[in-house]
Amino acid sequence: MKISIQNLQLKYGSFTAIENLNLDIEDGEALVLLGQSGCGKTSTMRCIAGLEEPTSGRIIIDDVVVFDSEKGINLPPNKRNVGMVFQSYAVWPHMTVAQNVAYSLKQKKLSKSEIDERVMEALTLVGLEPYADRGASLLSGGQMQRVALARSLVMRPSVLMLDEPLSNLDARLRDRLRVELREIQLQLGLTCVYVTHDQHEAFALADRIALLQGGRIVQMGAPQHMYEAPASASIAHFLGVSNIMDCTPESTAAGTTTARLADSGLTVQSAQQTGETGTSPKVCIRAEDLQITAAPAEHPNSWPGTVRVAGFQGNDIRYAIQLESGPELDALGGLKRGEQHKVGDRVWVTVNPREVQILPAEVLA
Amino acid sequence: MSLKTVATSRAETRPAPKPTPKDYRSARTVAGLRKNTPGLIVLLILGILIVLPLALVLLAAFSDSVPRPGSISLGGLTLSNLALLATPEALGALANSLMVGAGSAIIALLIGAFLAFVCARSDAPWRKFIFFIGMAPMFIPALVGALAWSLLCSPSAGYINIFLRDLGIDAAINIYSLPGLVFVLGIFYAPYAFLLLHSSLSMMNADLEEAATVHGAPLRTMLRTVTLPLALPAILGSAVLVFALTMENFPVAQVIGNPAGVDTLPTYIYRLMSATPAKSNQAASVAVILTVALMAVTLIQQRIINKRKFTTMTGKGNRPRQVPLRKMRWPFTILALAYFAVSVVLPMLALLAASMQATPFVSSMSQLLEANALSFAKLGEVLGSNDFQLALKNSVLVALIAAFAGTTLSFIASYIRYRTKSKVGRLIELVAMTPLAVPAIVMGIGLLWTWLLLPLPIYGTLAILAVACVAVFMPQGYRGVSASMLQMDQDLEDSAVMLGAGRTRSVLDVTLPLMRVGIMSSFLLFLMLSMRELSASIFLFTSNTRILSILVFDNFDNGQSQAAAAVSVLYCLVIGILAVIAQKVGGERKTKH
Repeated sequence: MKISIQNLQLKYGSFTAIENLNLDIEDGEALVLLGQSGCGKTSTMRCIAGLEEPTSGRIIIDDVVVFDSEKGINLPPNKRNVGMVFQSYAVWPHMTVAQNVAYSLKQKKLSKSEIDERVMEALTLVGLEPYADRGASLLSGGQMQRVALARSLVMRPSVLMLDEPLSNLDARLRDRLRVELREIQLQLGLTCVYVTHDQHEAFALADRIALLQGGRIVQMGAPQHMYEAPASASIAHFLGVSNIMDCTPESTAAGTTTARLADSGLTVQSAQQTGETGTSPKVCIRAEDLQITAAPAEHPNSWPGTVRVAGFQGNDIRYAIQLESGPELDALGGLKRGEQHKVGDRVWVTVNPREVQILPAEVLA
Repeated sequence: MSLKTVATSRAETRPAPKPTPKDYRSARTVAGLRKNTPGLIVLLILGILIVLPLALVLLAAFSDSVPRPGSISLGGLTLSNLALLATPEALGALANSLMVGAGSAIIALLIGAFLAFVCARSDAPWRKFIFFIGMAPMFIPALVGALAWSLLCSPSAGYINIFLRDLGIDAAINIYSLPGLVFVLGIFYAPYAFLLLHSSLSMMNADLEEAATVHGAPLRTMLRTVTLPLALPAILGSAVLVFALTMENFPVAQVIGNPAGVDTLPTYIYRLMSATPAKSNQAASVAVILTVALMAVTLIQQRIINKRKFTTMTGKGNRPRQVPLRKMRWPFTILALAYFAVSVVLPMLALLAASMQATPFVSSMSQLLEANALSFAKLGEVLGSNDFQLALKNSVLVALIAAFAGTTLSFIASYIRYRTKSKVGRLIELVAMTPLAVPAIVMGIGLLWTWLLLPLPIYGTLAILAVACVAVFMPQGYRGVSASMLQMDQDLEDSAVMLGAGRTRSVLDVTLPLMRVGIMSSFLLFLMLSMRELSASIFLFTSNTRILSILVFDNFDNGQSQAAAAVSVLYCLVIGILAVIAQKVGGERKTKH
């Protein structure tokens, strides 16, 4: 169902956790609140759930005003029909799997046969039907995650919220459940709100990402858009761009930009037009966009340097390359498609001007 | 802020207005008031239980009359009670209290540290039994221990002195003396030091010690440079704890000190209160001094203990290293057994002998070995007596009520403190923990005056004794429950709310069942402590509401030491049975998890 959050603000004493947040979530949409710890993403989720009382603002779920500070409306969490999967799963160890899942249906006082039917349906959906009568304390992390999910799905919530749903799982299981979660969400046409600090998780789960910094939404958009066009250097840094350097941009006749690095005076060409770059503009280049070759390349953005560190990572090698007339760069060299270089080798580092972004340090408030 | 206060007072004076968009601010304030209501109720209850008694004692200390209905006024304020504090009697009592506290803290620490080391970190034989030795004296109420030692070592009729005389040794040990008092308190409070030090030594992170060894330190150096400094907070903390507990101890000081004319502050307060006419105001001013002293000591102790947390605790389970004792293995165990003899075996034998001997006077130990010298007649007589049966019933009833009420109150108080955003949570915690720094005897006086004053007629009933136990042991109960609440993830309860259950329903379905271990332990703790309580009850009982501890004390006070001994034996038996039940319940819970 549709969710609308208007002018939401949450303060703890003098600390502002959420600052005037406005957000509309469409029916059937998967929205990810992405940000570092302390950015207000979990607080926002808890406000929607009703576990946290906002200082001011209004929250509407499925055309029902569940919170409105001006009218003094604050519906308790159990009246909001919102499902929530906690980061710790919060599966009750003193009940069986089936009892856990049946809990919300018992609160609704459904008939026993209907409860049994819907519990089995939910357990089948998450692939746990053989475990129905097992004590919940005997489950593995991945199974607990599924119980928590089934427990929330069975109540047919207006919106399902998941707090760092994959962070407590090991890497392999995480990859599998990420796909499963997306599949279930699409299959049921469920409105979902995820909270995560992991951009890979966000990219895989989201229809749309809302990126939070300091209690505000600083950028919102589809995952791919977010990846290709971060709004600021600090967002780029958070999304994994590793080469970020201070610079002074100058427009060229061709409508492109030449950026002079603050430390070394090296010039970098960017295909981007100089726009609003704020007070301290920065050059941002992804490690995987740097090409490393043994021979010099005829290219404006090609600089000689020396390999200082080469770290084998399986698919690729992570290099630290000290430019002769510039900074040290972080570069990723694919093993299969590119050449290999050793520590001490003299190499040329090249980057396409289209991959060079010049961004303001922070999003302008 | 000021705006909010204005809004609050407005909301209080008017009937709650229907919220309209215009005055949403006052609507919010009403909601805020409703949110704080449970907290305010709990605070009120704790205030009546704990703060009001203390306030009345403080008032009486600076007044010329006792607070009683109709006469409570600030008109008779005076500082003249304080003049009493400068008398030699009062100063002597203060000096004795400090000496008793310091002396017994040293003895308890030496015994506790020795047992803890042998039990936790050495290869001495019988270590499991040594752990039992370290704990066992806890199950003997200090009053009973003192009584037993007066039977053993009173100068004329003590069994040990008779035995010495039998041997022709002309040197009597007089337990009725300051050193005797220090000795008895020291041995019966050693378990507190033992338990603290044992947990510190056995939970110490073995890696820290191994790191010292890896870096070339021999065993002795490791113990000196790593183990000892890590255990230091526990050592200091337990010493100060014993100091605080013994300084405020009333029963032992009364039983051992009184015959010798040695007054400590608690016995001095008791003497002033039971003089005719009662010198209540003077008693109150001495009580204030004792309370201030105890508060200072308790603050120091809390400081030391709180530091301990991040130094030695570890979750990883490799056991710390054992120290090989070699030739000293058996001597160390024998030393531990000697403590067991002094703290448990001899006292119990003395109590049994005293309650079973046929003649009231014993002139030689051989007399006890003659035929018919010992019989169960007296024990049976006591067991069948109305006095004993009534006291037993009263004790169990008081303990059960106190345990139930105390645990419930502790749970609600902890819940408000740690699970809600109620602004009174911190204040509730402060009040709940206050009795830790208030001597039980002072609480007793304050409670007496409080319940004479309040219109609720529970004075003279068992209810007031239960109220006293809840007030005196609130810190222990609250701490137990809140520790277990803090261990439980809040999400577990919140998820029930998210799934459609109301808050109360969620607490009943999820929080209570998951906290049953902690709640049960607190219940049993309240029960055990209430069974032993004397110092506060001594001002609150009437002839119909005597409990076991009072019965022992009364009998001893009236010179009927045989009856006192007989009741003591049965008293210990009851406590022992309760302890076994507690152990059983605890054991079952452990296997379940």
